[in-house]
Amino acid sequence: MNLSVEKKILIRKIIVYVIFTLLFSCFQVSFPNRLTLFGQVADLMLVYVILVGYFFGFADGAVVGIIVGFIRDYFAGPSFTDSQGNVTASIGIGMLMMFIAASISSSFFTKRMNRNAAFAFVCVIFCTICYKVTGHLIMAAVMQFFSRTSYNLSFYQIVVNSILPTLLLNVIIAGPMILVLRFIGPYSKGVNPSLSKNFLSGGDDLWLRT
Amino acid sequence: MRRILTSKWFIIVSVVVLLLAFILLGLVPGSPIKYLYKPFGAILSPIQSVVKDTGNAFSDFWSAVTDGMAIRRENEELRAQIADLQYQLTQNEEAGIRYEELRDAFQIKDTFSNYDVYGASIVSREADEWFSVIRISSGVNDGIEVIPGQSLAVVDSSMNLIGRVIETSSSESKILPLLHEGFVVSAKINEVNGVIVTVSGDASLKFQGLCLVSGFSSDDVIEVGTEIVTSGNGGLFPQGIPIGVIESVDYSNPLNVTATLRPYSQIGDLKDVFIMIPQADAIPPADEDVASSETTATAGE
Repeated sequence: MNLSVEKKILIRKIIVYVIFTLLFSCFQVSFPNRLTLFGQVADLMLVYVILVGYFFGFADGAVVGIIVGFIRDYFAGPSFTDSQGNVTASIGIGMLMMFIAASISSSFFTKRMNRNAAFAFVCVIFCTICYKVTGHLIMAAVMQFFSRTSYNLSFYQIVVNSILPTLLLNVIIAGPMILVLRFIGPYSKGVNPSLSKNFLSGGDDLWLRT
Repeated sequence: MRRILTSKWFIIVSVVVLLLAFILLGLVPGSPIKYLYKPFGAILSPIQSVVKDTGNAFSDFWSAVTDGMAIRRENEELRAQIADLQYQLTQNEEAGIRYEELRDAFQIKDTFSNYDVYGASIVSREADEWFSVIRISSGVNDGIEVIPGQSLAVVDSSMNLIGRVIETSSSESKILPLLHEGFVVSAKINEVNGVIVTVSGDASLKFQGLCLVSGFSSDDVIEVGTEIVTSGNGGLFPQGIPIGVIESVDYSNPLNVTATLRPYSQIGDLKDVFIMIPQADAIPPADEDVASSETTATAGE
């Protein structure tokens, strides 16, 4: 592979990631009403990060995850109310959540399933459940210790009103997004060439193995 | 050593620790970390605005194509309404002149006369149930500034409460919506000597677009459909801003009678909002005891 081809691949990768990251992030915060079901919103940003991690590996997923999380914090960062009634808009939680989502998806049976597209749906389901459960746990802890109030959602409400609608919506949007990343994604033929090299040498896919 | 530094576990743990430190530092009042976002905002906001405008243009075009017949029908109905409203306008102009005369004579004070109202567009909306702060297109440059201990009410074009300003930058502000768990406002039943209650966001009711109303006594008779407005207690929000109507009442615990409230305004349907800013001479003199107790009791207000 000569240098100019490598440069072309790098340029394509950067341009496509920048466009997709801005497009999905901005669409998410501009038109959430178009992606709702039972009060829940399809999470384009989360699904995008999960799929990048799953298809293109840890390095791509982590960088894209942190950038998407940064944009998420900037546009719609979560806010907490303390026991005195002061509201603080926090920053950094989006970055943390998206980075962890990318880390999990980049090692979610990627070797065994050879990063195949059908199994990407299972990865989206697993990571969405992790995200929602973690989110509810964080909110319960914040409200208990920071706001001094109780988080009054029952297990049934969490499952039926929060997790299931988001899960359904995320799986629905994962379909077109898989096609987009595979066919007009950052790599030609939808395969990250550095992962193929690592695969042969027992690299990226094995990173969570002890 | 090199192997440890390049290990992915090491990278993950390091990044997570760094981000946790970043989050904690960001929670400190006046933290410089928040200023990191400013230069990126100058890039992100215009891009987001282009995406939003493009989406709206497509949506408008599609509506123009699909809604043609409906628009024609609606147009005919609106013409009839205009004729009716013209007549009412003439009547109201006369009533307005009478009211002005009476207001001068009896020195009646307008409810919101001491507030300036600034319009702003919604720039970005909530990303999911937790990332739910909303950004609007007015900031410090437009005269919107949140002073500690003061709160700015955000209303829709019909003056219904939709949230409060929690943070401002030079050209944008962040709004905490009414349905957010952290939102609390002192309110009252909209009648003379109406019962003072507390309206707050609730994690479980949020899914249905409802708020929690608490602070009733077991003797209070609350009817479904009763209007709730801000009480003005504490002088942070003006009195009389409509919030919504009672949807259901729960008498199951006589010591803690609660109700659910359906807000008049759903922020998801709005494109423009208005911020109520008290005029300098309208800010009441600080009463330390009252102010601190109200901030705690009404938390959000």
